[in-house]
Amino acid sequence: MQTKPNERSASVFAQLRFADCSSLFTLPHYRRGVERNTQLRIVYTKPYSVGVAARQPLLDSEMANDGCVHLKEYKSVKGFRTYRLIHAYFVSCTSAEARRRKADSCICSICKKRGPRLHICLHCIYFGCYSGHIQEHAHRKQHLLALDISHGRILCFACDDYVYDSDYENQACEIKEISNRNLGLPHQYKSWEPSLIEQELLLEHPRRKRITHDSTIGLRGLINLGNTCFMNCIVQALTHTPLLRDYFLSDRHVCQFSDRPDHCLVCEVARLFQEFYSGSQEALTLNRLLHLIWTHARHLAGYEQQDAHEFFIATLDVLHRHCTGANANGGDSNSHQCNCIIDQIFTGGLQSDVVCTSCSGVSTTIDPFWDISLDLGTTPATGDTSKVPKSLLDCLERFTRPEHLGSSAKIKCSSCQSYQESTKQLTMKKLPVVASFHLKRFEHSSRFHKKISSFISFPEHLDMTPFMSHRRNNNNNNSDLAASSVADEPYINDNRYSLFAVINHVGTLEAGHYTAYIRQHRDNWFKCDDHIITKANIKDVLNSEGYLLFYHKQFLEYE
Amino acid sequence: MKEEDVLTAKMIESGELNRWKELLRLRLTECGWRDQVRLLCRDAIKQGNLEEMTVDQLNNEVTPKARQLVPDAVKIELLTKIKTFLQENTLQESQ
Repeated sequence: MQTKPNERSASVFAQLRFADCSSLFTLPHYRRGVERNTQLRIVYTKPYSVGVAARQPLLDSEMANDGCVHLKEYKSVKGFRTYRLIHAYFVSCTSAEARRRKADSCICSICKKRGPRLHICLHCIYFGCYSGHIQEHAHRKQHLLALDISHGRILCFACDDYVYDSDYENQACEIKEISNRNLGLPHQYKSWEPSLIEQELLLEHPRRKRITHDSTIGLRGLINLGNTCFMNCIVQALTHTPLLRDYFLSDRHVCQFSDRPDHCLVCEVARLFQEFYSGSQEALTLNRLLHLIWTHARHLAGYEQQDAHEFFIATLDVLHRHCTGANANGGDSNSHQCNCIIDQIFTGGLQSDVVCTSCSGVSTTIDPFWDISLDLGTTPATGDTSKVPKSLLDCLERFTRPEHLGSSAKIKCSSCQSYQESTKQLTMKKLPVVASFHLKRFEHSSRFHKKISSFISFPEHLDMTPFMSHRRNNNNNNSDLAASSVADEPYINDNRYSLFAVINHVGTLEAGHYTAYIRQHRDNWFKCDDHIITKANIKDVLNSEGYLLFYHKQFLEYE
Repeated sequence: MKEEDVLTAKMIESGELNRWKELLRLRLTECGWRDQVRLLCRDAIKQGNLEEMTVDQLNNEVTPKARQLVPDAVKIELLTKIKTFLQENTLQESQ
């Protein structure tokens, strides 16, 4: 078991091959893709794709010898200018002017139709369709190369096939990016290709782990070190967070503590991921992690029972500080503009609108959040027991409802400059990739402390759209603003989430035990009770009490 | 110009055609269609003669199967978008 972390890291990394490893290697530019695709799965290294010459050999180095000589000659004579112009005007239009020209002129010179498969001659900008007219032109004029308008692929008539050149391909990608930006579309998805170093690593380590449907890889029990179930269940949830797993298994962490790497919690978590996905089934002991947490979050030190939620937040905080290399005790490291992996995955933005009841002036602030704590009891103001939330949706509805602040909490209004009563509303400005909900089951008031064990139903799939700022905000004076923000929204917008981990608490406020349900390989659920892991199904999960709920965004956007 | 041509030109000019294309690409990636078709291509290439296989041949072989694999939900979503566009633009014409 005692291999050096670095060696181990390299070998395990090389053994794991992912389906479209795009999400692994394109961070922080999130691929907007399917969570399913980030699950461990085996695929071939070099994807074929339609439209690329089928004779394309497997490696780029081979291809260099084998590419189309006609295109090479064209490249050496004409360079990229003509190609770029044609591409920017007729394939991926980079401006409104280009689109207008495309609409006007992309018509076959012979049959005056827009297809089938319109091509454009790379030598003289002649338009011809693939039903014979572009071929005719090519043979008559001996113009060997043409560009397919819908896909931007180069057709060589001498080779009688579509041909590939990485330089032209890169140019095409570049233009496509500009075109998408011009239309306000999100970044283009690119499939992963191994870099030179990664190719070497893959060749050096030819052993591959095959992840089958019933594979137990990724499941490890965790030894209870004496009241450490609060830590065990959070570690289970973190190690099964798809995007976090991808980040760590692809070796993305660069330690900020070069002098003392054993001081870094992120390095320890990276090591844990290697352990979890090594294939070993032995239970793990988290003594190093616990020690690091004790060192960096002193309020959690000691052998007492701790709150899993508090531990979760403290862990994120330390991880965030260590990612950015901020001094461990620096305290207020600014999380607003942070781009570390923790913030990229867990940070959302909460909009708070305070509306003055006198002049209807709105003051808006946006605060970052890592999790959302939801009240389960009666509304303190009304005490109406019929309004007790019964589901996660109820809770979220209540969380984002305008709340009257009352006469005892007058706020100075910034527009009418007087102290007035106001209403306050919280809404989601920016959704995090992982939405963590904390059901406030432990009630601490001045009179009593108790646990609320009422059943709160929560769905397997959750759409957060109704709680977004532009949707929820129905202030009259804000309607113009709301309308414009809808228009500014990206064309494709999807706020659906799916459940991937649930943490439960059994017992009382004073003494209890934490267990976790985690999702694995898309739809398999397991119950993690310290060192014991048992198979579960979604029904068990949805019927459980629920203390912390973790949802993962189904579709990821590029940033 | 025929009305059909006018509308097509409008789709290109407004960039709408491009948006649909990107949306379609995205949906097909999301639902796994892309992976399925990639596998179809792989199989076709393995079975055929690699040296003689051209994109056109691959296209002819894979296209009918690939078309069938497109989920109805994706088709419906795209159709709705196109219909809305057509309705909006023909209405403007008649006004």
